[in-house]
Amino acid sequence: MACMNEDGQWIVLMGLLVALGLFFLALIINQSALVGQTTAEGVLEFPKNDIRDLREAVFDYVEKGRLEAVQKDIIAISLERKNAVVSFSAGEQQGVSGRLLRPVIIHYNNGVTEYDETVYY
Amino acid sequence: MVNDSGQLYTMEGVAAGIIMLLTVYIVISTTSIYTAGDTHIPDMQLEQLGSDVLAMMDTPNAKDLKSDLEVFVNTGNSTDFESTFLNYCNTRTSGATDELHMSANVTYRDGNDIKERQFVAPDDSWTGRESAVRVTRWVQLPSANPYGGVRVRAVLVEVLLWRA
Repeated sequence: MACMNEDGQWIVLMGLLVALGLFFLALIINQSALVGQTTAEGVLEFPKNDIRDLREAVFDYVEKGRLEAVQKDIIAISLERKNAVVSFSAGEQQGVSGRLLRPVIIHYNNGVTEYDETVYY
Repeated sequence: MVNDSGQLYTMEGVAAGIIMLLTVYIVISTTSIYTAGDTHIPDMQLEQLGSDVLAMMDTPNAKDLKSDLEVFVNTGNSTDFESTFLNYCNTRTSGATDELHMSANVTYRDGNDIKERQFVAPDDSWTGRESAVRVTRWVQLPSANPYGGVRVRAVLVEVLLWRA
C-alpha cells in the first residue's frame, strides 16, 4: 500500500447506497407473501359458484310454478349446507319491453359476501 | 518492476463483481416468487372444472327434455352419474385421461329436518387427507322421487372432487 489516498471513500459511499437499495428490495419481497395470501383467501371465499347456482335454482323455481315447498327447500338447505341466508320471491307478471316478465328478487348473504338482485324473468 | 499499487483496484473489482452477481440473483428470483396465493390456484381451477361439469350435466339435450343430472338423481342411478361426471372432467384433448376422483351426496329437506344421503361412495383412492374441493348444484325433482316422494322438491347435489 504505497500511495494511499482518500479516493476510496466514494466506493464506501456507493456501497452504502447499494446496501440501502437491497434493504428496500428485501422489504418488498417480504410483503409479497402476505399479499398473495390475502388475495387467495379473497378469491376462495367469494361464493361465485354458489350465487350462480342459486340464481339458476331460483329461475327453475319460477319456471316450474313457484311452489312454496321448493322455496322452503332452497332456503333451509342453503342455511344448513352453505351457511348462507337466502331469500327470494317472484312478483306478478308485468310488461317489460313488450314481454310479460316477473320481477324476481334474490338475496344472498353468507356473512362475508352479500348479494342482492332484482331480475325480470 | 513489480509493486503493490494495483491491490486497491483488484479489491474494488472483486466488490463490484459480487454486487453485480447479487443484483442478477435478486432480479431473477423476484420474477418467480411462489407466494401462498399460488398454492390455491389448482384448487380454484378444480372447483371451476367441477362446476362446469355439473352445469353440462344439468343441461337438457333439447327443450322439454329432462337433463341427465335430474334423471340420474331422480332414478338413483349413481353408476351412470359417476361415469358421466368422471368422463366429462377427465377427458383431455389428447393423451392419457386425467386422474380425478369423486364422491357425491344429496341433501334434502324432510319437514324441519335436513337430511343427507350418500349418492356415490368414494373409491379406494380416498384416504381422507386429499385436498378435495366441493362443488354443488341444485336440482328440482318431480313429485315421484326417492327423497321422500309425495311432492316436488329441490335437492342439493354435492360432489367432492380430488386428484389422486
